[in-house]
Amino acid sequence: MTMIDEDMLYEALREAADAIEIPEGATPRILAAAQTPAPQSHPHRPQRVIPQGKRGRVALIAAAVIVVAGGISFPLLSGTDASKTIAASTFHGSASTGAGGPQQAFTPAPAAGSAGVAGGAPSAAPASPATPSLPPGSVGQSAKVVAKGSVNLTIGNGTLQSALAKLTNLVAADGGFVASTQAQIGPGTSSNSSSGTVVLQVPQPAFASLVSQVQKVGHASSVTTTSTDVTGQVVDLQARIDALQASRQQYLTILSKASTIGDILAVQSQLDSLQTQIEQLQGQLDVLNSETTYGTLTVSLTETGQRPVAPPTPSTGLIKAWHDGIGGFVSGFEWLVRIAGPALFVLLCLAALVVLGRFGWRAVRRRML
Amino acid sequence: MADLETWLEEGYQRSFRTACLILGNRSDAEEAVQEAFLRAWKFRASLASGSDFKPWLYRVVVNTCNSKLRQEIPHRDRRSGEDDLAGLSSIDDAPGNIAVSQDIVRALGDLPVHLRVVVVLRYYADLTEREIATAIGRRPGTVKSRLHEARRQLAEHPALRSETHGQPATVSEVVR
Repeated sequence: MTMIDEDMLYEALREAADAIEIPEGATPRILAAAQTPAPQSHPHRPQRVIPQGKRGRVALIAAAVIVVAGGISFPLLSGTDASKTIAASTFHGSASTGAGGPQQAFTPAPAAGSAGVAGGAPSAAPASPATPSLPPGSVGQSAKVVAKGSVNLTIGNGTLQSALAKLTNLVAADGGFVASTQAQIGPGTSSNSSSGTVVLQVPQPAFASLVSQVQKVGHASSVTTTSTDVTGQVVDLQARIDALQASRQQYLTILSKASTIGDILAVQSQLDSLQTQIEQLQGQLDVLNSETTYGTLTVSLTETGQRPVAPPTPSTGLIKAWHDGIGGFVSGFEWLVRIAGPALFVLLCLAALVVLGRFGWRAVRRRML
Repeated sequence: MADLETWLEEGYQRSFRTACLILGNRSDAEEAVQEAFLRAWKFRASLASGSDFKPWLYRVVVNTCNSKLRQEIPHRDRRSGEDDLAGLSSIDDAPGNIAVSQDIVRALGDLPVHLRVVVVLRYYADLTEREIATAIGRRPGTVKSRLHEARRQLAEHPALRSETHGQPATVSEVVR
């Protein structure tokens, strides 16, 4: 291997360096720059996307955002609070026909003006979803609320007809009506048991009591009610209609003064357009008024079918141990899958922090030296 | 401020020429050395008491040069050729020496930066391998291997192998 001689290199480099002229007035410039507090700017330095002095701050803000995002999304990923959110407007009861009411799987109180919840146990008195209280002075008129709900009822074998009749009587007593009925009766159905769906409509004030009464017809396996405040939409629609009608009135005045055919046609065209818009908005308003006048409750009725036969309990200790082992394995695997999501998120956060820290440390070191 | 004056008197020329050999351009070198001295002055407290000042200052200079090579120079057009060291004029009248100087500058410019830095620090700034290790933030073993590789590449460079000079013959003739 050939190597260049070191003495030669010393000599050649020294000669090359000695040939380089020292710039005049460089040291006074440095002294002057050192005395001025502002950092020396370089004409050739390209504009940085993030200024040098702000990189640390940007890194800190980015880290804070990651931590906050993690704090928010971690509970969502773990799934516990998410189920509570859904349960805020839904009640699921046990479908078993044993003694006692269905198990309560929820129960947070709804926020004012938001969805109402119809009771914990089917026998409990439900909260009223139809009359949420508006914040004082928010709109200036009574609340317009669209109330909807659904109840799944399990009834005894052969009692579908009587249950439908009971529901019809209930809704009639409350001043409402049966909007639609659908029933499948007889052994020809897939589950060999009868079932049906009834859509009931009652005046808003009676909606809550109807939900409560319907649950007594059978065994409620789930109850869901939602209430949507549409007061803002109603007010908005009404205001737009008023404005369009005022415009229409002005056009009518102009039309009465128009003398030429061209003017009359132009004004008439505008009037037609306005009339169309008014009718569309009026239609939307009518729909909203109808929805806020009556609450809609969908009742699903299912007769109790033949219950599935439970697998025989293992009789011997060895088989029981085998089943326990399989159960344990499945449980362990489920646990691994359950923990994988949060663990992955934590690892990603840590990786992001490490990268940020590395960049920050490099920036600090570069500034130090 | 008196300290800075002393630093400049003692170290500016050598630092500037070191930066010139690393960057290959006088204007870039002037900016880099100015920035290096200002940084060194600003962060002079980071120099531990009892530490050697010379490698610390060279470390600042080398870092500034590296920063320029990495961030600024690739993103802009080449400056006017008059500042390049390729057109080096020597104060030495010996024509052979001028040629060798030009060849060595050309060969240095073709070396990778990490090799160029150790060559300049070793054979021009006259730092020991340990001091170079401090200056570039690497282990002495790394410095040694880089120097070895740099000398091998220089020996094989066409400018230092094929050219003939009056004396002391060609560089390639004195390779071991």
